Amino acid sequence: MKVASQDFLQQAHEALRAKDKVERRDLLGQFMPAARDAAANAYGDFDGLRAHMKRVRGHTTEHLAHYLQQFEEAAVAHGNQVHFAATAEQLNSTVLSICQTHNARRVAKGKSMVTEETGLNELLLKAGLEVLETDLGEYIIQQAGEAPSHIVGPAFHKSLAEVRELFLAKHKLGERALESVSDIVEEARGVLRERFLAADVGIIGANALIAEHGTTMLVTNEGNGDLCANLPPVLIICTTFERLLPRAEDAMALQRLLVRSATGQSHTCYTSFYSGPRREDDVDGPLETHIILLDNKRSDILASDYHEILDCIRCGACLNHCPIYIGVGGHAYGWVYPGPMGSVLTPLLTSLEQSHDLPNACTSCGRCAEVCPANIPLPDLLRDLRQEESAQQLKPARWRRGLRLHAWLLRQPVLYQRLTGWSMSALGLLGKRRGAFRRMPFASGWTSQRDFPAPEAGGTFMRQYAARKRRGGRRG
Amino acid sequence: MVTCLADLMRPSVGFSAIRLLERAGCRVTVPEQQTCCGQPAYNSGEIDAAVPVAQAVIETFEPFDYVVIPSGSCAGMLSHHYPALFEGEWRERALALSAKTWELTRFLTEVALLPAPKRAALEAAVTYHDGCAGLREMGIQQQPRQLLQEQCGVQVQELTENQVCCGFGGTFCARMPEISGKMADDKLNHAVASGAKVLAGGDLGCLLHLAGRAKRRGLDLEIRHIAELLAGNPKGPGIGEGRQ
Amino acid sequence: MAESVRAALFARLRERSPAPAEPAEIARALATIGYATAARMPHADLHTAFIANVLANKGTLELALDRGAAVRAIGRYLYKRFRTHKLVAGNDPRLAAMPWRDGGVLPRFGAAEPGDAAALSYARLGVAETGAIVTFTGRANPGRNNLLPEDHLVLVNREDVVATLEDAWAKIRIETGAGAWPRGIQFIAGPSSTADVEAQLVLGAHGPCRWHVILVGDTPAQALEQARGELPEA
Repeated sequence: MKVASQDFLQQAHEALRAKDKVERRDLLGQFMPAARDAAANAYGDFDGLRAHMKRVRGHTTEHLAHYLQQFEEAAVAHGNQVHFAATAEQLNSTVLSICQTHNARRVAKGKSMVTEETGLNELLLKAGLEVLETDLGEYIIQQAGEAPSHIVGPAFHKSLAEVRELFLAKHKLGERALESVSDIVEEARGVLRERFLAADVGIIGANALIAEHGTTMLVTNEGNGDLCANLPPVLIICTTFERLLPRAEDAMALQRLLVRSATGQSHTCYTSFYSGPRREDDVDGPLETHIILLDNKRSDILASDYHEILDCIRCGACLNHCPIYIGVGGHAYGWVYPGPMGSVLTPLLTSLEQSHDLPNACTSCGRCAEVCPANIPLPDLLRDLRQEESAQQLKPARWRRGLRLHAWLLRQPVLYQRLTGWSMSALGLLGKRRGAFRRMPFASGWTSQRDFPAPEAGGTFMRQYAARKRRGGRRG
Repeated sequence: MVTCLADLMRPSVGFSAIRLLERAGCRVTVPEQQTCCGQPAYNSGEIDAAVPVAQAVIETFEPFDYVVIPSGSCAGMLSHHYPALFEGEWRERALALSAKTWELTRFLTEVALLPAPKRAALEAAVTYHDGCAGLREMGIQQQPRQLLQEQCGVQVQELTENQVCCGFGGTFCARMPEISGKMADDKLNHAVASGAKVLAGGDLGCLLHLAGRAKRRGLDLEIRHIAELLAGNPKGPGIGEGRQ
Repeated sequence: MAESVRAALFARLRERSPAPAEPAEIARALATIGYATAARMPHADLHTAFIANVLANKGTLELALDRGAAVRAIGRYLYKRFRTHKLVAGNDPRLAAMPWRDGGVLPRFGAAEPGDAAALSYARLGVAETGAIVTFTGRANPGRNNLLPEDHLVLVNREDVVATLEDAWAKIRIETGAGAWPRGIQFIAGPSSTADVEAQLVLGAHGPCRWHVILVGDTPAQALEQARGELPEA
């Protein structure tokens, strides 16, 4: 997908002007955390579960080559064809060539962030294939020609009225009311059902790869991913190696974390483990299955100080809990992954040069790390990226100079106190009557949104404190 | 340690903190060389500029038994982030400082307890904004409420979404002012909805940002640092307020 | 090219491992980590907990003392929902042996087709922790039978209900031990649902709209009542 993260501030500005969307997101920001908290509390020792998963992940990462090989061997033994793709282009062309080998015309897709990342649909469409997103949210944004705004609910930004308009325009089904969310779901079910049945190729992602059995775990509520995995004659699973886990039990532990963190459920409707093509005992299922393992810079990340971001399970909790994501929405971030996890991943998977605003879209409030089921220290990773931003001289030069001058001044206490003592006294006097300034030189960022509170009259603390001490220790 | 913002913008927070600590039986010194903990550079990714600032702070405060700070954010910087900046000997020194660093309200409820007040209860409806670093790094949540109850006879009228950031975020508020302004508005709207007349908090950064926004919007809220309320019924104007 | 991509990735991953460990050593390290602790159960009694979670998953549930009672329950369900006696079910010997005529049910054995309103599966397992049932794809239960019909009916034997997801996998390991790994193992916990529009939950997204579980065996009727008592008012 094309990167538009360099325009984050402009996109955020536009997002904040659409008041109805702001209200929708504010609601999301209230009930999603409430649902997550209720589910985490009902679980019992949810923090213990997070810690357990962290240990399993640490172990898996330490022996990743071993587990990848184990997975590959078992998957091949089940009859899968396993492919490796170093880049997005390689994944896309592998998918295309499989489709072309089968003279496929119609592709049905389950929700897959990996293929959003590689921009697969664009290539398949260009090659003349019919590509259908089947997750309701993905289907809606596909019809609207938009990108997902949320990694779990790709169409959360759309109102019922907007979806209604969209369906009335896109589905030629004549007069109908389509007034409720149920009507929308029913119509999509009807329209998509036909196309599931007619699909030549199904494409899905995977929530986990289980090394010991060579199976992939798929977690969905709608059942669309399972239809993609069971109906078409060819199945392609697009995934990445960091989804590897040693045992089925580890995948279940992950699923426990995932559903509670993502939607506040205690179990998704469908949690399926697929091992390969149709067996002798099967009367349905794909005749041929492919697993494509994408790297796309992940092995670089693994070797870097940012490797913990690979523990991300794509639950979206950090989005729902981030006041900046809730404020500006997913599209402002300008690529596939928004919010805190996206602000770490986007610079790493695209380039920091294009996306260095994203790690700055953070107040270090720590709420994302507090709820992250994978215990990823997101604020620390974002700070590290800001450090890299400085090192690569991507930060606005006047900011950088200002911060460094300030830090230098802090180490000259006498000079610092003389300068601040003088300027604060002056500001205190100037602002005494109104208590605040509407404008302030060198602080347009601050005063664009707020007044600048005047310092208390009487001079700085250090000056007053020194004066009191001189007067003989009279205090308070 | 008096934070840089208290030093420059709100000295009464520093003097209130001193008064409270003395009332709790402490001997208080503010070292002359202290300036700031170095958070602006640190959070903006200018780590190499923050390191010498941290070293200066560590040296300055080494002789004391406790370092008490009227800010969860600066306390969090000393406690959690300084040790991560160093290795070897300096790390040991940073850890030693970390171990004796306290946020003011937690210190007053766990280490040096305040005696019962001799003055009348504060006649004001108060709500409280929890600074994020205090809340998540320093475990500050019930302490300020408890102190307001015991010292001022005030039951805090809670903000909805009281665990959500106000949008200050240090340099964030100036680098992304529009988003920051939206977050301030959310917080201020909750404050108004709480029915409180006074919005108190433990971090001047948040409070200056909120006060500036409240002033811009013409909201009728008195914004104060909790140390001011605890030290005695404050008479001076609230943050960002003029003299009548 | 494909082979070089694979080799390059493995080389990079191996670089990162401190020292290549023996598989037995890795297995020992993994065993030390152990398994996770399961979710807190809504009831101490296994079956009551299972029932409560099925209901919490927006499923419906009936108790049947034996297979005869189960057939009669299915007959009533089909008549009430569709005024029909028709049903599709996999070629499961356990289903073939049921006294269908007693309930006036006319099953067709095989894979579900687009027009089928209701399908029946005989679950391998029920999981109390999540209120899920487990099926394997195959002749006995084609994968599409779980997905295509409007209503999905599931029989699960009382003795096949286990407490946790780990217990479920312990059983699955035994059942698949002979090397006959099924194409798909499906944990199903409720009718298909979506909250993609306005974050409002709607049942019947792409899969079944209704999910009806019949717990077969001697379960006291009050288990169902107790389980219901845990739910907010319907």
